[in-house]
Amino acid sequence: MTSDNGPMTALRAPFTTLALRRAVFCVVGVVSAAAILSVPAIVPALGVLILWATGAMSNQPAPAVAPVFLVLFPLTIALLVGLAAPTGRAMGAVHRSLADRLLDVQVDAPPPRLSKRISAVVSDGPGWRAVGYGLLKVPLAIPEGYGAFCYVFGLVNLSYPVWWPLFRNHPPGTRLGPVWALTPFGTIGTRTFAGTFLIAAAGLVMLLVAPWLMRAGTTLDLAAMRLLLGPRRLAERVRELQVTRARAIDDAAAMMRRLERDLHDGAQIRLATLAMNLGMATEKLGVDGPPPDLAQARELVALAHCGAKDALADLRDLVRGIHPPVLDNGLGDALATLATSSAIPVAVNVELPDRPAPAIETIAYFCASELLANAAKHSRATRIGLGVVRSGERLMLTVKDDGIGGAIPDGPGLSGLDRRIAVVDGRMRVHSPTGGPTRVEIELPTQV
Amino acid sequence: MRVVIAEDAAMMREGLVRLLTDRGFEVCAAVADADALRSAIAANVPNVAIIDIRMPPTHTDEGLRAAIDIRRDHPDVGVLVFSQYVETRYATRLLADRPTGVGYLLKDRVADVADFVDALTRVASGGTALDPEVVGHLMRAGQDTAGVASLTPREREVLSLMAQGRSNAGIAAALVITSGVVEKHVVNIFAKLGLPSSDSDNRRVLAVLRHVGGA
Repeated sequence: MTSDNGPMTALRAPFTTLALRRAVFCVVGVVSAAAILSVPAIVPALGVLILWATGAMSNQPAPAVAPVFLVLFPLTIALLVGLAAPTGRAMGAVHRSLADRLLDVQVDAPPPRLSKRISAVVSDGPGWRAVGYGLLKVPLAIPEGYGAFCYVFGLVNLSYPVWWPLFRNHPPGTRLGPVWALTPFGTIGTRTFAGTFLIAAAGLVMLLVAPWLMRAGTTLDLAAMRLLLGPRRLAERVRELQVTRARAIDDAAAMMRRLERDLHDGAQIRLATLAMNLGMATEKLGVDGPPPDLAQARELVALAHCGAKDALADLRDLVRGIHPPVLDNGLGDALATLATSSAIPVAVNVELPDRPAPAIETIAYFCASELLANAAKHSRATRIGLGVVRSGERLMLTVKDDGIGGAIPDGPGLSGLDRRIAVVDGRMRVHSPTGGPTRVEIELPTQV
Repeated sequence: MRVVIAEDAAMMREGLVRLLTDRGFEVCAAVADADALRSAIAANVPNVAIIDIRMPPTHTDEGLRAAIDIRRDHPDVGVLVFSQYVETRYATRLLADRPTGVGYLLKDRVADVADFVDALTRVASGGTALDPEVVGHLMRAGQDTAGVASLTPREREVLSLMAQGRSNAGIAAALVITSGVVEKHVVNIFAKLGLPSSDSDNRRVLAVLRHVGGA
């Protein structure tokens, strides 16, 4: 946003949808600030209303006043204290959703309240922080209001020369009062058509300044939101860790299930069938003497032989799926081996001064394996580049192809990878426009 | 003897058909899931059904549930459940109402063709065939409470074979001893476990399994 600062951009700034959305956000901000300001006025007003209703304001003092007041006063305080945090939370939620919808900025929700008990409601930290945001909203609304004012009245002032001829077509000599226009520095009036251009010029200046004012206001507001309406830093981290831990546990359980299933339906059944065939063959060969049915025995042994080879192949695939033995020689060898089994030619380039942690190597290997498989399945590419480089304490794995693109980062395959790498605080970037090419970058720490 | 086979792994299914046909059984139907099994049983009313526990669609225990249904709806059809792993819970569910015409074996047992065919015949004629693994599990579970500890090693072997559903003659053959010796062991075992002695093989199995914590 800041990199393309040209005069054209400055001129165009007021006429973007972003400016319009910011203006709406600012106006809503001013309204909510006004609402917040009115709260201190409402409470005494309610008090006065109660006093009036109980007769305390009348000339004859009512005997019931003192006890009623004694009960109502602490009750009001208790009610205010009890309602503040939940109200703050609700208001915070509204502001977060406004920021999301209008400014495209996501502020994460704070962790939910632990329980519905009064003590939890009163000591609800995020709720009180949201109340703090509400108080801060009042000064924050000033630049926002100023920006919105400049935006709206800038547009209005700019339009003066347009509607002047429509309304000021009185017969010559008619004496009319001046037309007033609002600017941040007071009102300007004019009685002439030429004067409306002055107003229009003022409007233009206001309109050009408005986006920057609104931007300043919303930036401050968003900073306050992140600070007061989002989760605390540590809480945020804990939440992230909870999520990734849950995913890691799920993934591990799913992997064990898959492994069990593969063994059960694969090698195990092959070996049981093999044993059965050998059992039958043994019977056909008889205990001693000439075999009663040599031809069938031969056939059964041949079947068993095939079964044994199939079972071995099954087990080999399974073992490679659990941990490819070549990975023990390092990621370079493992990826080179992986590349040779790809249907599309892969150029491998691994530059690692030393070996990352084994867990990282495994994750990198499986990411590469999954990405190559994806490319082979969907990309229609003719060549794939697979690179691993070290940058500082991070390892960058890049897989790019010259295929048709259109990879979906939220699809089951890529999101599965994302889950896997999130466990070690890794990150994945997918760049795959329709028509290609596709480039997936995975960043991993070198140590767990 | 008429057999229905329900097994989802084609390789195993075909092998079983071959083995049983070779041994003179009549395989009326060989199916791959529980629904097909139920209709095959209704259509053919075989002497015995061989049922894999894990079959499509959920690959959990549909075979077992079908087996229990078949035992309820067709009491004359023997049910031999077989699986690649043994669960004592499955065994107790199978044996819950009566231990007749029922078997639970590991798939590995097909390797010993004669024993497997013997077990199948036993189940078809109303007997019992429990896998030594199942019996072992149950006996280990009942070890402390059931007086099993007071048995001699030989008596334990006999108990285990009894629980598998073998007759005295079968036990004698397996242990290479005479029937008389087996009978003596059996009397001792029932006395040590405090069970009323019983002549029928089936009632014997149930008594032993109840005792060691099974059914």
